[in-house]
Amino acid sequence: MAQVIAAKTRPTSAPWKRRNSRNILLVTLASVLPAAVAAAVTVLLGLDGAIGLLVLFVPLQLIASVGIGGYLFKKRGRQDAALIVFTVFFTVLVAVLLSSVLVAVFEAGLRMMRWSFISQNATYISPTTSLDYGGLGHAVLGSILVVGFTTLVTVPLGIGVAIYLTESRASGRNFIRSLIQSMSGLPSVVSGLFIYSAMIVTHWSGQSGITGSLALMPLMLPTVARVCEEALRLVPTDLRSAALGLGAPNYRMFLQVVLPAAKSGIVTAVLLGVARIIGETAPLLLTVNPSAGTNLNIFAGQIETLPTYLFGNLSLSTDYSVQRAWGAALIVLFLVLIIFTLTRAIGGNKQLKTPKKRK
Amino acid sequence: MTQLITPQAHLRSEDINVWFGERHVLSDVNLTFPENQVTALIGPSGCGKSTFIRTLNRMHELIPGAGLSGAVLLDGQDIYGDGVNPVDVRIKIGMVFQKPNPFPTMSIKENILSGLKLSGRKVTNADELVETSLRRASIWNEVKDRLNEPAISLSGGQQQRLCIARSLAMEPQVLLMDEPCSALDPGSTRRIEETIEEISESMTIVIVTHNMQQAQRVSQQTAFFLAEDGNPGTVVEFGATEDVFNRPIDPRTNDYVNGHFG
Amino acid sequence: MPVETKPAPQRRRLTVKPTLLGDRIFFGITTGTAYFSIVLVVLVLIFLMIRAWPAFQHEGIGFITGSKWDDSVQPMIMQIFPMLYGSILLAILGVILAVPMAIALAYLIEFLAPKPIARVVTLLVDLLAALPSVVIGLWGLFVFSPVAEGWAKLLNHYLGWLPLFANTSGNFSRSPFIAGWIVAVMIVPIITSVTREIFSQMDRDLINAAKALGGSMASTFTKVILPTASGGIVGGTLLGLGRALGETVAIFFVLNLSFDINWADLTEARGGSIASMILGKLGNASDYERSGLMAAGVVLFITTLLINFLAGYIVNRAQPWRK
Ligand SMILES: Nc1ncnc2c1ncn2[C@@H]1O[C@H](COP(=O)(O)OP(=O)(O)OP(=O)(O)O)[C@@H](O)[C@H]1O
Ligand SMILES: [Mg+2]
Repeated sequence: MAQVIAAKTRPTSAPWKRRNSRNILLVTLASVLPAAVAAAVTVLLGLDGAIGLLVLFVPLQLIASVGIGGYLFKKRGRQDAALIVFTVFFTVLVAVLLSSVLVAVFEAGLRMMRWSFISQNATYISPTTSLDYGGLGHAVLGSILVVGFTTLVTVPLGIGVAIYLTESRASGRNFIRSLIQSMSGLPSVVSGLFIYSAMIVTHWSGQSGITGSLALMPLMLPTVARVCEEALRLVPTDLRSAALGLGAPNYRMFLQVVLPAAKSGIVTAVLLGVARIIGETAPLLLTVNPSAGTNLNIFAGQIETLPTYLFGNLSLSTDYSVQRAWGAALIVLFLVLIIFTLTRAIGGNKQLKTPKKRK
Repeated sequence: MTQLITPQAHLRSEDINVWFGERHVLSDVNLTFPENQVTALIGPSGCGKSTFIRTLNRMHELIPGAGLSGAVLLDGQDIYGDGVNPVDVRIKIGMVFQKPNPFPTMSIKENILSGLKLSGRKVTNADELVETSLRRASIWNEVKDRLNEPAISLSGGQQQRLCIARSLAMEPQVLLMDEPCSALDPGSTRRIEETIEEISESMTIVIVTHNMQQAQRVSQQTAFFLAEDGNPGTVVEFGATEDVFNRPIDPRTNDYVNGHFG
Repeated sequence: MPVETKPAPQRRRLTVKPTLLGDRIFFGITTGTAYFSIVLVVLVLIFLMIRAWPAFQHEGIGFITGSKWDDSVQPMIMQIFPMLYGSILLAILGVILAVPMAIALAYLIEFLAPKPIARVVTLLVDLLAALPSVVIGLWGLFVFSPVAEGWAKLLNHYLGWLPLFANTSGNFSRSPFIAGWIVAVMIVPIITSVTREIFSQMDRDLINAAKALGGSMASTFTKVILPTASGGIVGGTLLGLGRALGETVAIFFVLNLSFDINWADLTEARGGSIASMILGKLGNASDYERSGLMAAGVVLFITTLLINFLAGYIVNRAQPWRK
């Protein structure tokens, strides 16, 4: 009796599960050997690392995997091995590119980090002034003000659009939805040109924090509207029916039932909106006049922001100013990472998320 | 002939026809719901029971493309009449849904009071209202110590009774229930049937059910809906529950209540 | 119950419009915000058009088809074909590089990798999407360009007989090849997320059916998954193309703009990009030149808007469940 049970539960026939020592050895070889050979040849010939990766490692890995896959499982093994190698290769490539960005920014940026860099502004600072003097405090403040004002204007608009898309029964919804979708692809430089031609050339307003804010608005709006829409859509229709069935007018139904249920989603929408524009450079270059000093008035005068500070210092292209640009990049990246982490942490109200239905 | 001696026609539907877009799904429904009686709506799936019950408190018109003809009279007043506000109709004619749907962001107590808040009315002596409503829905003893916990912490059956209590707190004159027990276990179903019996002393109840025994247990009168081969659904037989189940006139009713089709 | 013939019942008007004052205000405001988004797009077009008009009027169709930008004559000549063509070339190059990466990422996340790894890769892609283009540009200029230059030289060395990699000047820096990679890095996330969405919504039964019929992973991928998702992938690619055309700052750093048109010498230090050109020239442009830059903006705006509309249409059609 016991024997029968054991025989039944032991994995038997499936070839892909058979793990004898010869197969394990082969698979291990296939996954280690190419890397080892490629690394050795690269080092011995003094080749560039990326070239070693591209022209040595990938083909070797492909040959090894496909060969062993084919040896073990015939034709389907070869194809599957090729698929896996390519998939993993492209994934690793993207991972390498991304980490290269992160490492570069942190490495160069951290060298710049000191209290003065964050607290001081850039008055009396020339491209050759020592890195221990001057900083981007004014740019941080400027960015907070400019982005804050954009958020103030855009979030109500975006939520309004999202409500229109989910709660109303108007016939124009599909059109508005595609329009918002298209707006999310609006080139940022065009947004800058718009405010430049509408406000600055017409002398409605000189270049100021406000013009910058407004130039960021069309870029933020689609993000906020889209994410809000998703959040509102996640609120089950049952709840809406329940509220209406109790005699609620639509606006109370929305404010007392839908909005509380979608709260975390809406916060996420705002955060993603801010993340979208915090590093936007092109529109600000066209609409904001950078300053070296601190300016807390966004309605008039020159004002510095993080992206324009970065761009400006990079354009000066002295060793020191490039260093400062890296520092600014780190601050921007840092802000983006904070927002990124926050959105993950909020995540959205899991109780309300109905599992995806597959039809 | 199964003819009812009606004490007082509280709610009446007159020649109700319903369309979804161009599709005609209900035709000429004439039903009378007397005061403080329970009426069961039975019939095979897709014959339009839910659709009909939604026309009784104007939830129907919330569906895009919905169309309607005929009238629904509450105490002789057409609820679809000019100048009648659907919101006022829904306050007088409450509704309990198939799936329990308490508001997840609110506590048990807030759920009971939600109707008042949602319809913009003042809440006076809230605690008393919460207690009486929960008592009438016979769930008070189970939740009295956890009124401030979120409503979704309750079991499915408790949630449904909470939803009934939520409707009761509005003191509706009519309560519509669309398969209120279909998502529940037998125990919870029994409790809800008891609740129905109790509250029917003070209000008119219309209940859709697929459960023949339930219809016989809780209702005084029964309407049998049927939609045949692409025709719009209509009422085949309407009368005292006793008669519809034991002495049906129409052979199709006989077949259905005896489980021969549907 | 025989049905009598009688006149068709008269339909009643149902309240579709909100009747309560509160609801009217509520929907009034939200409808207002929705219409504002239309107004915004129209305003962008109008204001750019007004400023662009002198240039359009003076240059005519030559503005788009010609290849000269000369401010030494009066009035100056402004023709953007090299920039327009360069933008398209970069976008195509970016898409060619990004699409395989995106499909691989999406396939890995949805089908291949175990949950924890899939989650990490998802995080990675989302993070890449969150990086501002100015940061990518900075990295592109100092870190990536030298590396990519090496690749370009290698390609030129071994495949130089191909017109694509021919390089007569011997200058490999700030080339479309490098900028194309940067564009690819910028658009990988969007293509990945659309593709993933399509993959994740795909009918698992279909895939199981293919496996049950004896399909291998590879044949399931090529014969079932790719064809079923093709609409979404095309849509996502178009979205990426739209983004690529609009990319400004990052390209500005890594590409040498030249009105001497570069058809396909990817490794030459001559390229074009409308967006970067606008950024580069607006600062010290005369009134009239500014008009030409606005006109370039109009061309860019209309092109991206059309591409995005098309992409949205295709993506939505590829996702019938998203009503
Ligand atoms: N929102 C809708 N749009 C279009 N047609 C609908 C809609 N809701 C219901 N119908 C149709 O109206 C008819 C009646 O549906 P209804 O839901 O009222 O049936 P039912 O009797 O309640 O069925 P069940 O017992 O399964 O709940 C069906 O043919 C259905 O397809
Ligand atoms: Mg039903």
